[in-house]
Amino acid sequence: MSATTANRWPSNRRDRRDAPQKWGNPFTYFIALLFIAVCIAPVLYIVLGGFRTNSQITTSPAGLPHPWVISNYSGILTSVTFWGEFANSAVVGLASTIGIVVLGVMVSFVLARYDFKLKGAMYSLFAAGLMFPLVIAITPLYIVIKDLGLIDNLAGVIIPQIAFGLPTTVIILVPFLRAIPKEIEEAAAIDGTSRLGFFFRMVIPLSLPGVVTVGILAFIGSWNNYVLPLYVLNSQANFTLPLGVQAFSSQYSTDTAKVLAFTSLAMMPALVFFSIFQKRIVGGLTGAVKG
Amino acid sequence: MTRKTRSATAVAIGLGITLAVSGCAGGSGGGSDSSGGKVTVTFWENATNGPDGLNYFKSAAKQFEALHPNVTIQYQTIQNEDLDGKVQTALNANSAPDIFLQRGGGKMQAEVDAGQLQALNLTATDKTNVGASALSSETIDNQVYALPFDTQPEGIYYSKTLFQQAGITATPTTMDELEADVAKLKAIHVAPIAVGAKDAWPAAHWYYNFALRECSQSAMTSTATSLKFTDPCWTKAGDDLSSFLKVSPFQNGFLTTAAQQGAGSSAGMLANHKAAMELMGSWDPGVISSLTPDQKPLPDLGWFPFPAVAGGQGDPSAIMGGSDAYSLTKNAPKEALEFLEFLVTKDQQEAYAKAFQSIPVNQAAQSIITEPYNVSALQAANKAAYSMQYLDTQLGQNVGNAMNTAVVNMMAGKGGAADIVSASNAAAAKG
Amino acid sequence: MSETLGTDTAAGRQSQGTARVGGAGGSAATSPASPRAAARRRGRARMRLEIAVLSGPAIIMFLAFVIFPVAVAAYYGFYRWHGYGAATDWVGLNNYKLIFTDPAFQQVLWHNLLIVVLSLLVQGPFAIVLALLLNQKIRGRSIIRVLIFVPYVISEVIVGTGWSLMLQANGAFNDLLGHLGLGFLQADWLADPKLAIWTLIAIISWKYIGFAVILMLAGLQSIPDELFEAAAIDGASYWQIQRRITLPLLGPTIRIWGFLSIIGSLQLFDLVYIIWGQYISGTAGTSTMAIYMVAQGRDAGNYGYGSAVAVVMFLISLIVALIYQRFVLRRDLRGAVTEGAI
Repeated sequence: MSATTANRWPSNRRDRRDAPQKWGNPFTYFIALLFIAVCIAPVLYIVLGGFRTNSQITTSPAGLPHPWVISNYSGILTSVTFWGEFANSAVVGLASTIGIVVLGVMVSFVLARYDFKLKGAMYSLFAAGLMFPLVIAITPLYIVIKDLGLIDNLAGVIIPQIAFGLPTTVIILVPFLRAIPKEIEEAAAIDGTSRLGFFFRMVIPLSLPGVVTVGILAFIGSWNNYVLPLYVLNSQANFTLPLGVQAFSSQYSTDTAKVLAFTSLAMMPALVFFSIFQKRIVGGLTGAVKG
Repeated sequence: MTRKTRSATAVAIGLGITLAVSGCAGGSGGGSDSSGGKVTVTFWENATNGPDGLNYFKSAAKQFEALHPNVTIQYQTIQNEDLDGKVQTALNANSAPDIFLQRGGGKMQAEVDAGQLQALNLTATDKTNVGASALSSETIDNQVYALPFDTQPEGIYYSKTLFQQAGITATPTTMDELEADVAKLKAIHVAPIAVGAKDAWPAAHWYYNFALRECSQSAMTSTATSLKFTDPCWTKAGDDLSSFLKVSPFQNGFLTTAAQQGAGSSAGMLANHKAAMELMGSWDPGVISSLTPDQKPLPDLGWFPFPAVAGGQGDPSAIMGGSDAYSLTKNAPKEALEFLEFLVTKDQQEAYAKAFQSIPVNQAAQSIITEPYNVSALQAANKAAYSMQYLDTQLGQNVGNAMNTAVVNMMAGKGGAADIVSASNAAAAKG
Repeated sequence: MSETLGTDTAAGRQSQGTARVGGAGGSAATSPASPRAAARRRGRARMRLEIAVLSGPAIIMFLAFVIFPVAVAAYYGFYRWHGYGAATDWVGLNNYKLIFTDPAFQQVLWHNLLIVVLSLLVQGPFAIVLALLLNQKIRGRSIIRVLIFVPYVISEVIVGTGWSLMLQANGAFNDLLGHLGLGFLQADWLADPKLAIWTLIAIISWKYIGFAVILMLAGLQSIPDELFEAAAIDGASYWQIQRRITLPLLGPTIRIWGFLSIIGSLQLFDLVYIIWGQYISGTAGTSTMAIYMVAQGRDAGNYGYGSAVAVVMFLISLIVALIYQRFVLRRDLRGAVTEGAI
């Protein structure tokens, strides 16, 4: 890559994004709309289901709410429990995301730009984490958490989640960090910056799209995580949102309509988070595949 | 990885595993603190919020705490499907609650074998309150390990209105009569019987009841201990189920219908008059009432016992059932036992019956029952020559699960009576 | 002094063939003179310190919370254990023997293979076509991308619950068909063995196609416009351009996506468990290795057996990953599993 390319590297992408947008041909929109309809219809079903009663859902599965039952949604929105769980989920989500991103970037930087004997082993270590069904390891994991005194504590969820989030993070970030041209690094070295300085002053800003991508995936993963909080958290006050669904299921039955309403509300923050940052994702994954 | 690194890693892993395994085995007690004075008792169960759930336990706790000012009861509600996993993990990590919902059967046996349960030291009053037969199903080697709260006789719940519409005047007492009723209900375009085969156990209960009718009591109890299904009655039960299936008594799509999980379930069908009958334990009315259009109990719900099977060696009055019971972990304080004993006294049991719409185990409290279906069920339970626990509890999870799966396979047309027996035998070998 | 740090220098913006990862040994060529050697030793010590500091926390956490529990869990695979108390009944490799001779396991292996292959065949072309269509700089591109990604953002549990309600025999989909007068199309989407696997593929595709599309879109961004312009000037049609230029250049992306898809398909659990449950998935033909693991393990109280199945799943995933890397990724992505070169 030439020096001019290196200089243009981030700005090139920005130019293309800001290119004047024109209307595409109707066929494209038609296909896209078809696709969106398929993607969104089930989601709409879930959201509308929250406006019905169980009886309605049984007797008229494909019908619209008739009458519209607001109490499911309003009951949840006004319940202190819901907002408490929301807050817990937010805390856990943000803390996990920050942890995953920070540790992930550090490790990926090492794997991407250093050269040492155990590099292959280290990478395999993380990649292997994706290949073992973690649900089997819950008992030993619980003992580790308990021995650290973190049962029924949000930290007991955050810290393992950071560990679980590392494999995907590493797999996505390493190629991205490797893509930063060597010339920039050499230029920094010539200027007298240490490798660590290079890391802080140049790598992080240049890899921001990749970091944002990984952050979004981490946040969504944490927001939807059910198994770990289920085992670690005991008191209602510490529950995260996915656990809140339990309140609507008794030993023998489930209040389906309320569950649908609850999960519709619970998925909103993850969607909002995603739509805010989605532009950056494309930029992020671009680096990963382009090498 | 170099050889040195590899062996170092292996040593580290080995050390770690030894640590973990030894940590699992011994260890000091978890649960609560009973160092003179204030005692906290932790209680895990699966009843959710609402009058028919957590609120009952909360008020019971308040009353107990008023009588015993130094005790605090701390609740935790866990969804039913997740409860067992959480309890198991907590037991193995020595951080289990003092009191928890016990499933009984093979699970309880495993917990006893691992020394994780406290044998209950029951007084004569307790034994009168609960009754000998209810206690017998929670007994291992002459020690009682769980205290039951209710009794759940199984039978067929039906809609009186739909029966009337179909022209059925009396509830069936034999399988032939049941099959005739099935035909009549089909004529009025109602699913004759709802079954939630997706969860396997509701379908398997049909097999259990056929087995109950075909097998003698001694055959059933001896199989439960030996786990060898050699008695021909087991195959005969499968044949009975096979021929019953030939009249297509179940609703359309029964394989993907859940039993009780809300709107699309078999209970939901009964609640909205889309099906006329369902074979279930006595918790069903509570479930149905949450799924009716007005979310109140179904007014025309009735109950009749599983019909007799011609030529069976089992007593025709025998009934299948279970109960909800609570166990104490090994190091639970004596106040925990006192709380349990408190909960099976007459007044508490009456409140329990009202809250859960179920049949309390305390016979003195049973007079409070007024619903016709519960009354019928209770009469049948009291008249029964003997009762058996649900087979998947009785036989243990391993065999029970395999048996349930095989029954579903048969219902899906993928196996026969012999396969149920062979699957159960095979599972016994695995576990 | 420019000590190489083992980064590859991608010639041009494509990553094919020139990814040279410094493996063990690095790419420094000459052996330097003595004072240089001393400086290098200092530098190397410093490098090791940096490596330790930067990667230390992550590695420690990963070992403690992932590797260690997994190793312990795998160890239980040598026991017959009912889940309570210490594991005392050592059975060695017996669990593994039972697994490989169990016809039910062979069945789920077959199902997994079907899912792996069908996922690739169904999602891949759709995603590529969609990405090609959406790569044009048209208005509303952003919104469309967001909406297509929505299924991926929702948790698998909710997805399972919703689809379960919709696809039951007496559920919303059949009901809708009835209302639209298409009653003859009604079927038992979940339990019919002829249909169930396709239903599963449809649901999986629904959930993950957004991710595939975004990945492909990203790959498309990296193809220089000049190539398209040049081809257009030369008179190539739109589809000729796609076939001759875009698709080959999209190759690396497609292959990486394939890798992620395969590993994900092998581990598939949540969706099947929630929609089909462990019993019906067997008769319907959609059970997977993970379902088998939970059904025969945790749900049957045979935790040792379940652990053994987990280890088998791990080994199968590892072997597939290594084979894939060797034969598919080798060309442009050397060492993707061991070195993360892309």
